[in-house]
Parts: sequence; structure tokens; C-alpha cells
Amino acid sequence: MKRYHDIVGDGGSGILEQVAEQRARITDGLAGVRHLVAVGSGKGGVGKSTLTLHLAGALRARGLRIAILDADFNGPSQARMAGVQGALFVPGSHKVSLPRTTNGIAVFSMGSVIPESEALEFESAAQGESHTWRATREFALLGEILGSFEWGALDLLMFDLPPGAERTVQYADFLGPQTSFLLVTIPSEVARGVVARSVAALSKAPNRLLGYVENMSGYYCRDCDAIKPLFASPPFDAAHPSASPGMGIPCLGTVPFDPELAQYCDRGFPLAELPDTPVGRALDHVAQQLLESLT
Amino acid sequence: MKFLCVPCDSPMKLQTVAPPERGSLSIVYSCPECGYEIAMLTNAYETQVVQSLGVRIGPESDSKALGQASAEAGASGATCPFAAMIPGTEDAQPFDGAQGRRGQVAEPVAVRWTAAAEARLANIPAFVRPMARTGIERFARERGLFEVDEKILEAAREFFGM
Repeated sequence: MKRYHDIVGDGGSGILEQVAEQRARITDGLAGVRHLVAVGSGKGGVGKSTLTLHLAGALRARGLRIAILDADFNGPSQARMAGVQGALFVPGSHKVSLPRTTNGIAVFSMGSVIPESEALEFESAAQGESHTWRATREFALLGEILGSFEWGALDLLMFDLPPGAERTVQYADFLGPQTSFLLVTIPSEVARGVVARSVAALSKAPNRLLGYVENMSGYYCRDCDAIKPLFASPPFDAAHPSASPGMGIPCLGTVPFDPELAQYCDRGFPLAELPDTPVGRALDHVAQQLLESLT
Repeated sequence: MKFLCVPCDSPMKLQTVAPPERGSLSIVYSCPECGYEIAMLTNAYETQVVQSLGVRIGPESDSKALGQASAEAGASGATCPFAAMIPGTEDAQPFDGAQGRRGQVAEPVAVRWTAAAEARLANIPAFVRPMARTGIERFARERGLFEVDEKILEAAREFFGM
């Protein structure tokens, strides 16, 4: 009796062929992208999206061609921060053009598609059992976005990942080994612990771990023009990395919290409009480190 | 998944896929040697897991009928896995970022689409299609035009710096 692998094809449903076509469409769509960089953490609320946008801005200021894909479909924030909420999607000859920020960064975010008062929902044949299929559906959506939008010739495509150490690894699997990872933490032992788990999980994948950024590393007090502690845990000291053991990957820099930057994000203003501050300089330094780690 | 006719030792071929009924698909396979037919009846979880891959279920000839039936039944379309995504149905009112909620702004004059422009629109993912259509029509109206053709689409791309 024939076994599974003795039979060519699947009798007509073509499921595997369709999945292969999807992958080919993604590969074709990303053919002009030089570097794929996923910004993740594992931990939520550490500023992945803010860093992604402002690092993109700092790289754009260096003349690089940058796009951001907000892969946090359930909690998209790039549309608001990048100022592309309610953006127009224009069909090209084969693919859809991407909206751009005022400084020329192409951005796809579900926040441009779904108003903030609504959640991303899919109709389902298996009502009430979304844990059995939802992740698959979302990755199919990611594939559709990668294959349907005009990414064109880019120096960097940055993925703003959702939280969850296991999700971070799933993105590594889906995006393939050519995608490098930049992780974000904050100076709290809890956050560092979660990010360390992400590092451990990603270490088993073939993807490159570029390093991590410690965000909210103190806050910038405008009155004092000084960085003051924000968390009880001491900020990471790049000069003494052993003070933050367990990460095992390079620290690309520390970025203090700046309430004004947070306001800029809420209003969708680019970093370039923020006056010269320690935060701006820190982000610029991280961008340079990121660039050097890629070359 | 593959099906084998054991007496003939021959792979069975997919014949028809009936529209989903309460989340279940009825997929008929037959043996090309002896003509024996079997039906695979999926439960809702099996249907959903395969649909979540973003693939069409069933032979090409059946996909349109299945998709139409799916839409009528309120289930996910088979031709496009995202047709049933809440913000992306063709009938959905587009979100107007400037106005707030969906569907509050009545469009005054109908705008026609040429076949070529419509073909471009059909190429893009279903979940952004309604937004794209409304946005382009508004762009055309603002310029005193009531037909969308490829020139308008290119003008919109240029206008928005794409």
C-alpha cells in the first residue's frame, strides 16, 4: 500500500501549494529589502514601538530608506505615533502603496485600518475557540501584508513585534533566519528576566541577535537638565555590563524616559522636531550602534 | 491530508466541496480507478484551522461558488481568507479618520471606476479595499472628477508621496 510520501500532490485541494505560493509572494515582496530587523522584547510596555519609530527616524535622517511594519495587530500603535491614522491606501499596478510619515518612513499599521475604539476580529467557524487558530490566522495576515504591499527598495524594514517571549520566537520562525533581532528592556529586574527568556528562546533560532536597548533608563528632568532614576533597580551601566548579568548579548545603548517625547508620540510628531535633548542623542547613538551591528 | 483507495492502491481525487454548514465542510473525494467515493466531514475546529492558513479550500472551479455561499452564510469567504475580517468586508462602511466613527459621512455623488482601476483595486487585500475605494473616490471628488481611472490612482500615489 502506498504511503503518504509515495503520493504526489494532495488530490486537488492544493493546500501545500497555496502555502508555498504565499511564501514565494513574501520572498518576492521583500526582494529589495537589505536588512530585516525585528524589534521585540517579550515584555510588554517597555517602549518597543516608541524605540522602533524613533530609531527609524534617526536612521532615516542618515539618508537610509526605512519602512516599519507594526506587527502588533492586536495593539497597534505605530499609526498614531507615526501620524498615519486614517491614511489612504492606494492600489498600484500589482501591490498597495504604503502611507509615509512626514520624514518619508513607509508605515503599515493595523491602526491605519481599524479605529482605536475597535478590536481586530476575525469571523470563525469555531466560535469561542480562538486559542486554537488565532495565531495561525494572524501569521497568515502578516504574510498577506508582506506579500501585498509595496516594500520596494529599502535599507531596513523594521518589525515592531507584539509582547510575549513565545511570540518573539514565532516571528523568528515566520520571518526566517535573515531577520535580525533587537530586544528592548527597562531597568527592572522583572523586565530583564522576561527579556532574558526571550534571548534564551531566540538563541535556539538561527537568527542574529544584534543586542538590546535599555529603555526608560532613568528620566530626563528638564528643570534640572539631568537624568534621574525611574526604577528602583539601577540603570544598566554600559561601562560595567556585569552589573546586569544574564542577558548575554551586547547592549546597544540606554535611553532615558522623556515626558515630552511621550507627548510627541501621542501627537504623531517625528523625533526630528524634538529639540536637542539627552533622549534624542541617546536614540541617535543607538541608531548608530544598530547600523554598525548590521554591517 | 491525502486519501488513498486501499483496494486500488490509488490516490483519491478531490471532487467537490460543499459550502460550510455550521462550521463543517463536506469534501468529496473519489478514486479515479474504481470510482468509489468518500466524504470528509470536518468539524468547526478543523475547518477553522485550515482557513486560518489563508488558503482556498476546494478545487478552483468550486471556489467561487463556495466563497459566495460562505458570504451568504456569514462565514469566512473561501477565496479570500480575510474577507470576513470585521473591518474588511466589502459592505463595511469605511472609517473616516477625520470624522471619527464609521459611516457618519454620506458621500454625495457616485464615482465610477474604470475596469482597469477596478482591476487594480481587486489586487489588494480585502481588508484594506473598502478604505482604499472610499479614499480614492474622495480624492477624485475633491478634484471635481467622478471617474477613477489609472491616472487618478497614479496622481493619488504622487500626491501622498508614495
